Amino acid sequence: MTAATHLPSHPEQGATFHHPALFYTTEEDYLNGVGDFVRAALLEDRPVLVAVPDERLRLLKDSLGADRPGVTWVDMRDAGRNPGRILSMLQAFADRSGDRHPFLVGEPIWVGRSAAEVREATRHEALINLAFAHRDATILCPYDSALPRRVLALAHRTHPVIGGPGEYRPSPANLDPHGVCRDCDTTLPEPEDPVVLRFAEHDLAVARDTATHWAEAAGLAPARRTDWLLAVSEATSNSVRHGGGEGTLRLWRTSDTLIAETRDRGRMTDLLVGRRRPDPFSAAGGRGVWMMHQLCDLVETRTLHSGFVVRLHMTLE
Amino acid sequence: MRVPAAEGMESAADRHTAAIFSTDAEWADHLVAFVRAGLEHGEQVQYFADATEPGQVMRTLTDRGVDAASAVRRGQFVVTTAAETYLTGGRFDPDAMIELWRVAVESAASRGHRALRAIGEMSWAVRDIAGADRLLEYELRIHQEVFERLPLTASCFYDQRVVPHDALEVLAGAHLTRVGASSAAGPAPSVAVAPLSDRPGLRLSGSAGYESRRTVESAAAALAGSPTEQVTLDLSALDHLDVAALADIAQAAMRRLPARVHVLGAPPALTRMLHFFPELASGLEVTGR
Repeated sequence: MTAATHLPSHPEQGATFHHPALFYTTEEDYLNGVGDFVRAALLEDRPVLVAVPDERLRLLKDSLGADRPGVTWVDMRDAGRNPGRILSMLQAFADRSGDRHPFLVGEPIWVGRSAAEVREATRHEALINLAFAHRDATILCPYDSALPRRVLALAHRTHPVIGGPGEYRPSPANLDPHGVCRDCDTTLPEPEDPVVLRFAEHDLAVARDTATHWAEAAGLAPARRTDWLLAVSEATSNSVRHGGGEGTLRLWRTSDTLIAETRDRGRMTDLLVGRRRPDPFSAAGGRGVWMMHQLCDLVETRTLHSGFVVRLHMTLE
Repeated sequence: MRVPAAEGMESAADRHTAAIFSTDAEWADHLVAFVRAGLEHGEQVQYFADATEPGQVMRTLTDRGVDAASAVRRGQFVVTTAAETYLTGGRFDPDAMIELWRVAVESAASRGHRALRAIGEMSWAVRDIAGADRLLEYELRIHQEVFERLPLTASCFYDQRVVPHDALEVLAGAHLTRVGASSAAGPAPSVAVAPLSDRPGLRLSGSAGYESRRTVESAAAALAGSPTEQVTLDLSALDHLDVAALADIAQAAMRRLPARVHVLGAPPALTRMLHFFPELASGLEVTGR
């Protein structure tokens, strides 16, 4: 394979997918790397989505023009707060683009992300390669070189092409998305003194009530209790439906977050479940998992030998 | 169209009763009181037997001082079977049963009876009979489609020794009048559904998750099948519903378009889900709390 020095600005015939990682150090790098990517796409009259953290968004808007036609701007700190919902947004944008090869900028990892968020964002990056494998799209993912070395190393495993402005090259790392996701299934830290409730189908209402009252007592704002209940409801019913008919619900809090965990005997056979907006009328479309991702500030998943684990995080604000 | 019931009759809500019993003596108490009242009011009385041998019905009434034999001879009392009524053709079809009520009421009137009164044994509901899973839908529909329209008084006999606690509570809850206390232990179902007494529609209360999906499916089927143009779904006592429950309701409402289902007292969960899935609102007219 020969080294690529430039990103293709116009797609070839047939479905072509490009997913480069851009490593940047300075604002100038950023404006050159991302700015040139956007400008090239606009010259080709391609639909462009820019989903990056708000301070980078301002930088790009100042440089390119905030009202630039053809560009959709998204603050990734908000839209991608839970990394598990970013892929749905990217696929929805690509869907809306029809047969016009879309150009997307997605920066899911920034300095300050927690280790748990980085792991789920890495899983998201790997899943991009699965979800877009046979689609027309170019997705540029900027990585701040101030991120920890291990995080930057993971970007080599989730992007077929890596580099900086004008000097991209194929990644030498093993890019198997299933392998990356398996490596993301690390041991979760054990909570201190959680509330524990085993449940089967006839206990689901009790599980929901327990989670609701516990969250209220823990100080979750009324506006978020509905989201909490909806997410816990979907997680527990998934355990009954897909996890062997029963599961264990654990509830605990950290200094600023409430966490609900379900454990069951299920397996996640489709890694992309819940990563695309489902048909709400279809029970087979992963609408429960998709909703959990939309409702929570972070959703951690683990496929373990013992079964399937979901941790739903909701910040106390 | 609402047809006035015979003069002096109770309201529709009072004429569709769930009678709960767990002993033969309780069964006999319900039977005797109901039949005696009907015979005294000049109504035709029919008994649709399922678990009970028809001769036992006659003997019990006679033993308790009701002259059932004379009533049978003059055509005022009829003992038939669930197989010949609810389960005609070997299956339960709510539409066929609603039509059977219309025909039976007309027949009773043509024979000079003031109204029709019927007891139905519902023990067949727990057997593996085609269409038996539509019983709740039927119980929800007939308040509007039968009792608001016809001079009929009916008592649905639910035997706690046969019908499991959860199913019995849900089915009994679909009647606006209930006699006989439940003696079975166990928690109440997470969701209850009943017809509205003051307008066409239903009231869902409790918390609707995966465990109550069959109840919600039946409620949705009843909504979809309601023949009135305006239908209300009162959710003011519903604490929670999941996306599957909302999708069932939304799909039923869409089958009624261009008329919309008026959703009253929508819980915050419903509003939140419509934010994610606005297409679910296409058949709904939602009023929040």
